[in-house]
Amino acid sequence: MSNPYVPVIARIERIIEETPDVKTFHLVTAAGKPFAPRPGQLAMLSLLPVGEGMFSVSGQGEAHLEFAIKKVGQLTTALHEAEVGQAVGIRGPYGNGFPVEELQGKDLVFIGGGIGLAPLRSLINYCLAHRPDYGELLIIYGARTPADLVFKEELFRHWPQAPGTAVHVTVDAGDAGWQGPVGLVPALLEQLNPRPQGKVAITCGPPVMIKFVLQALERMGYRDDQVITTLERRMKCGLGKCGRCNLGSKYVCLDGPVFTLGQLKALPAEY
Amino acid sequence: MAVAKVSERWAAMSLVPKEEVGLLVDGLARHYQVIGPKQKGKAFVLEKLASGQELRLDYQTSILPPRKALIRPRETMFSFHDNQVETVQDAGPQVLFGLHPCDVHALTLLDQVFSLEYEDPYYAARRQQTYVVALNCTTVGENCFCYLMGTGPTLRDGYDLLLTDLGNEYLVEVGSDAGEELLRHLSLRPAPRVRVVEKEKRLDQVRRQFRQQMEVTEMREVLAGSYNHPAWRELAKDCLGCGNCTMVCPTCFCFQVKDQLELDLNHGQRVREWDSCLLWDYSLVALGHNFRPQLETRLKQRLYHKLYYYEDQIGTPGCVGCGRCVTNCPAGIHPLEVVARLKGE
Repeated sequence: MSNPYVPVIARIERIIEETPDVKTFHLVTAAGKPFAPRPGQLAMLSLLPVGEGMFSVSGQGEAHLEFAIKKVGQLTTALHEAEVGQAVGIRGPYGNGFPVEELQGKDLVFIGGGIGLAPLRSLINYCLAHRPDYGELLIIYGARTPADLVFKEELFRHWPQAPGTAVHVTVDAGDAGWQGPVGLVPALLEQLNPRPQGKVAITCGPPVMIKFVLQALERMGYRDDQVITTLERRMKCGLGKCGRCNLGSKYVCLDGPVFTLGQLKALPAEY
Repeated sequence: MAVAKVSERWAAMSLVPKEEVGLLVDGLARHYQVIGPKQKGKAFVLEKLASGQELRLDYQTSILPPRKALIRPRETMFSFHDNQVETVQDAGPQVLFGLHPCDVHALTLLDQVFSLEYEDPYYAARRQQTYVVALNCTTVGENCFCYLMGTGPTLRDGYDLLLTDLGNEYLVEVGSDAGEELLRHLSLRPAPRVRVVEKEKRLDQVRRQFRQQMEVTEMREVLAGSYNHPAWRELAKDCLGCGNCTMVCPTCFCFQVKDQLELDLNHGQRVREWDSCLLWDYSLVALGHNFRPQLETRLKQRLYHKLYYYEDQIGTPGCVGCGRCVTNCPAGIHPLEVVARLKGE
């Protein structure tokens, strides 16, 4: 009997230092890419014997998966100390991912904060790889300081040059070299004021940012089915057994992590 | 799975004199590990029976529920060294002897939880080798409310063998092929069909001892509109958040997972332990954010999952009315009283 709790052993192929506390890890197995997730899906990563945790897949190549991981606790600190070639257990993919078919033909507004750009990035790059299927892409992103911005290469080079794509980056506090806007993401969103017609807004970031982004979107006239977000839980299994990610009658690992605002409003307000 | 629906195929019934019921355990123990009720201090526990003499079928309930024989309070999932993983399976044939109908129902619920979407291989391996010898209830405990939940005091299916106390002897009924297999290890005398009448008479007497407070459907209606009811705040003042209710619950299944390293810093195990949604760190995520920081929301999570979400997930309420949470709650919180309060009684 195959055991869904047992990870496959992958190796770190490459490490990219995104910010002082975020690194992107490229993982490969002996067979190549561990699996082919849809944008927004999740994977359990293990460092034996530190532990296991659920992470959003932030991207993928022909033969590898990418995970942008912020150093926040025991497991992520150990991952940050890992070197190229080190073994990492992986199992997945888990969760529903973004509804890429339903989003076809829509203009998409991405609103990210901090490490919350990681799941959005998988969808942004998916849309760009399937460019004719999607409308205009508007990317609004912010972090505490310029040094805390993740995926800088894409934010400042690739995405602004991509067809039909606009990128707006803000920071809470600038530094000597920063020439872009300074301020919070929800304020920048309201300033840009993208009209809701034909659009879907997709947001991920710290809970306090999401709270104000949702309020701003509502004021701007976005309906609950035009707003999509992803939820975070400290999951222990990914299989709908451990109970940790139970929210109402849903399990975030099976039914999420991607929910429309309409779906979330039907659940207890524990997010 | 060792259990099956009862049909006419297994119409045969047997009788065991009360003083010989321990011999059943001894007969089965030659082939299986037999887990049944035995006394521990003033209470009873479900544990491996060294001999039939330890069996106490007059028990009202056990401290921990039978799920501990299928998903252990703490168990190793796999061991590892140098990034080599070796899975651990310790399942062997076992008989759960003397389970009350509520606890048998709980097992059938867990069967669904642990096979929905993904099959849990540890649970499945043990369950496939588990035989259930159930015992109809002929007395009612002070906290029992199985009759309301539709899970007792008598059992219709989910067992391999079913015992009913007829006074001086037990009626033994077969509920599955596996039950017939168990009987082959025992020499019992056949029961005349008329003893079924005796059985039904006794079980009717038990049913009459229950006070019917409300219907399950009404419970669901009350909860549907009560998530923001002010009574929750008052209830949360009583609740200590200790998690006792979840540990003794026969249908709770949450677990957490930990890695532990041996002193050679190379070998280790990934273990899982029973967890509780009542505990503060259950809903903690990265950077210290907590989705249920208030005890009130954690208490609601527990009761809504039992009495409401469970039904959405697998089609039946997650409470079997065994009463263990009531017995073991330091604050005396009773699920039915909670619903009554939400209803405004």
